[in-house]
Amino acid sequence: MVNRAPQETRGNWKTYTALAAFMVISAFPVYWMFVIATSTDEKVMGFPPTVIPGDQLLVNLGEVFGMQDVYFTASLINSVIVAGVVTASTLFFCSLAGFAFAKLRFKYRNALMVVVILTLTVPNQLGVVALYILMARLDWNGSLLAVIAPGLVTAFGVFYMRQFIGHAIPDELIEAARIDGALTLRIYWTVVVPAIRPALAVLGLLTFVATWNDFQWPLITLGGTDFPTSMVALSDLASGNYVIYRRVLAGAFAATVPLVILLLIGGRQIVRGIMEGALK
Amino acid sequence: MSLIDEVRPAPPGEPKHAPPPRGRYWWYRFDTKTVPYLLIAPFFLLFAVFGLFPIIFNAVVSLRNWRIDEPDDRSWAGFENFSRLMTDEDFWNALGNTFGIFVLSTIPQLLIALMVANLLNRKLRATTWWRVGILLPYVTPVAASTLVFAMFFARDYGLANWFLSLVGFGEEEPIDWRATKWSSWIAIATMVNWKWIGYNALLYLSAMQSIPKDVYEAAAVDGAGPWKQLWRITVPMIQPVILFTVVLSTIGGLQLFNEPMLFDQNPASASGGSDGQFQTIAQLIYKVGWKDLNLGYAAAMSWALFLIILIVAGVNALATRRLGGDK
Amino acid sequence: MGRSVRRAAAAGLVAALALTGCSGQSLEGGNDEASDGQITLKINFWGDMGLDKLKTQYEAEHTNVKIVLNSGEYNAQHEDLQKKLVAGSGAPDISAVDEGFIVQFRSQADQFVNLLDKGASSYESKYLPWKWQASQSADGKQIGLGTDVGGLAMCYRTDLFKAAGLPTERDEVSKLWPTWDAFLETGKKYTAATKKKFVDSGTNLFNPVLAQQPVGFYDPQEALQMEGGPKVAFDVSMKAIEAGISANLASFQPNWDQGFKKDQFAALACPAWMLGHIQDTAPDQKGKWDIASIPGGGGNWGGSWWTIPKQGKNVDEAYKFVEWLVQPAQQIEVFKTVGNLPSQPELYNDPAVLDYKKEFFTNAPTGQIFAATAENLKPQYLGKKNGPTRVAVENVITRVQEGGLKPEAAWAEAVKEAEKASKA
Repeated sequence: MVNRAPQETRGNWKTYTALAAFMVISAFPVYWMFVIATSTDEKVMGFPPTVIPGDQLLVNLGEVFGMQDVYFTASLINSVIVAGVVTASTLFFCSLAGFAFAKLRFKYRNALMVVVILTLTVPNQLGVVALYILMARLDWNGSLLAVIAPGLVTAFGVFYMRQFIGHAIPDELIEAARIDGALTLRIYWTVVVPAIRPALAVLGLLTFVATWNDFQWPLITLGGTDFPTSMVALSDLASGNYVIYRRVLAGAFAATVPLVILLLIGGRQIVRGIMEGALK
Repeated sequence: MSLIDEVRPAPPGEPKHAPPPRGRYWWYRFDTKTVPYLLIAPFFLLFAVFGLFPIIFNAVVSLRNWRIDEPDDRSWAGFENFSRLMTDEDFWNALGNTFGIFVLSTIPQLLIALMVANLLNRKLRATTWWRVGILLPYVTPVAASTLVFAMFFARDYGLANWFLSLVGFGEEEPIDWRATKWSSWIAIATMVNWKWIGYNALLYLSAMQSIPKDVYEAAAVDGAGPWKQLWRITVPMIQPVILFTVVLSTIGGLQLFNEPMLFDQNPASASGGSDGQFQTIAQLIYKVGWKDLNLGYAAAMSWALFLIILIVAGVNALATRRLGGDK
Repeated sequence: MGRSVRRAAAAGLVAALALTGCSGQSLEGGNDEASDGQITLKINFWGDMGLDKLKTQYEAEHTNVKIVLNSGEYNAQHEDLQKKLVAGSGAPDISAVDEGFIVQFRSQADQFVNLLDKGASSYESKYLPWKWQASQSADGKQIGLGTDVGGLAMCYRTDLFKAAGLPTERDEVSKLWPTWDAFLETGKKYTAATKKKFVDSGTNLFNPVLAQQPVGFYDPQEALQMEGGPKVAFDVSMKAIEAGISANLASFQPNWDQGFKKDQFAALACPAWMLGHIQDTAPDQKGKWDIASIPGGGGNWGGSWWTIPKQGKNVDEAYKFVEWLVQPAQQIEVFKTVGNLPSQPELYNDPAVLDYKKEFFTNAPTGQIFAATAENLKPQYLGKKNGPTRVAVENVITRVQEGGLKPEAAWAEAVKEAEKASKA
């Protein structure tokens, strides 16, 4: 037989078995989270450990949301606000800048783009201490502003938008609009935005997921306040003097569900975004 | 595909407008000369304030005495914070842990991702379903999944020990996963691997699919089985992406924070175990800055971490190229 | 072309900006005074201080006050308070401060409301003298009103003792262990008979034994004194670990809580405040616990004060609530719900305390048991760095329990870590 490219080879039962096994392992922790979230204390501490869901989900969730000192309900709302605002702003500002870099001519354009690319690689953790001091000056520590502001734009967003706009929109289209007398902003709004909707979906989903899951900076600035994000509330849930696993994991489950739904709806876009070279 | 794309040549020439009506010329001039800067301005402004400034200011902080509980003392410390690093046992311990966990997580992560990508790179039914499915760990919040793993790796009544006892291991003396360096590193590396394998597999997959078919057909490897094919043809062809993932994992792995933080029995302590056996540098920075309240020293540690990341990412990139027998 | 998309995007952006604007105002931490004169008082503490019912009662009596109970982890709450005091904002309206941290905070008395200014001086005569003095700064400011004291006793499981062939009646059990050595011997018997562990953890032997010593980690001149009391306490904990009678659970952590439910230990040193934790953690063990006297004599472990950080916006309302909390009726209520023994000796003779029998603990007369230990107490001086020092030494004990450190080498390590903590 001639050597055939893998992508031309049909998957056999071994392929499927191996993939299925990998899937099961991938899904197991999330499944087990659900199992514990639905169980009683006795079940949780049973030996051998339980692997079948119970019927206590509502009870456990009720306890989590009822815990006054963890602010869980508020934390979910906060997470929605933070991730929502950050996503909207990233999409808007990064597509504007991406458009300019891809299709407009201006002085120092290339030099500025190199700056954007260089900043892609700088680890954000480097600035955490100074960011905290900055937020203290602004008196924003402990408020959602402190979490939102640093996320409003990302270098990756600009880079990604520039790539996409560069490929997706023919120059002629923009030329034509100009000849019709359209101003730049109008072109952005009527030509660019409609054409890059798929890219906006991809970038939006990736940004939302990353923002929702962010933990370190929110912990630093929101830890110990009444306005945690859901990740910070989760860590509070896990560090009190009464840590009850079924409760902790019910909380974890509640904070995970929105993202699983997002994956179900937008999975295709997320896959595409990553395969086009997304950053973590 | 790769990150540092060529900075593409300028697309259209000088924008050709419809002949401007008289008196409105300045408006068009404004539109072509100034508006582009206005479009990129929000990004650069926000980035300068919340991205760039903290990094520069961090350097200033690291050279000063900057304790949260001594707000009146902001005097210059020179390189005191840095020289203290050299003799700080906690720092070296955390550095060792960070590397240990990094090695245990990166290598299996990328190897398994390669295998999975290779499996996905076939003609499959329900292609999309598989691809979306392996992303479940990626979208699961680290905080949530780590809490699950923290239970999984419990000494008493943990699932991990139960599995081990099934194969007759540690029945008498169950493993206290958090107690020793190696066991806690393995536990944490497992969490990292779990989260990122699917993601990396997709990166590899996209690269694999862009390999032209005739490369395989033309390959003079006699009766090359799929395994040989993978190592002889596929891997060398997707080497740039592998390089990219190695650099990404280095940047991410050396900043590891969430997993060791929440794996602790008492996540509020930030101590990484009773003896710091799994305390990472990022965690130590948090502890020094916000529990010991010494921001100046924490800033110096951040710089050290940054330098280490630069060096390691560079070395890894070089090594990966070498291994691939590159141009 | 996507008009709807455009509209949605615009709406989203406006909403986003509006939300950011709003959150800037109303979500900026601390106390938000709503327009209708509603006042929110946030109270930070740890564990269970028996406030749930009292909160409802107070809110019903004061309709303009809303009370937010914020229970967190013991060390984290104190660290958080310290951080917020320094930052100048974000502290709760009322914060509990434990004995282990009171010296640290009273030395920053200018950060707290001097309760004497609010008329607290009338309470001085009601408190145990040492309790009143412990929260007073060097220049005479009073930063806190005492809640409870942590007189020592030994809680044990009657059902497990019975199964091991040990006596179960509380006086007989007390006779088993006049000294700590006798206690360890009992433990060995228990473990031999049942193959199960006797005590929960080395740290929960270290702390009560340390509390019994005349001098703790620090002498009144703030010098670290490891070779005195700490050495005695450390040795007891090491002996227990080496004898294999400790379940080696890190106390106040999830596995410890599990250990209660899974019968992983049969005895636990219990200051009065521990009773609440036991009954909250293992509610179905009602009637299976009892309380005997502790080996080695009296001592005090823990007990707290209510403090009011100065930065709060409603310090007057906060004081009113604190004052209400320390009134006899409320103190007795707390005592009955969670077991915390009041620090006002008058109450020890109150029939409501004196005759109280705690059903959960086989009707043990908790008032009598704990009051007896509290009144005869010679308080120990706890240094400014007492909190962190204790954490450091506890960590060393945990390392021994985890097997990472040999008991022989542990003491040197404990001294080293304690010195580090005392200088941090």
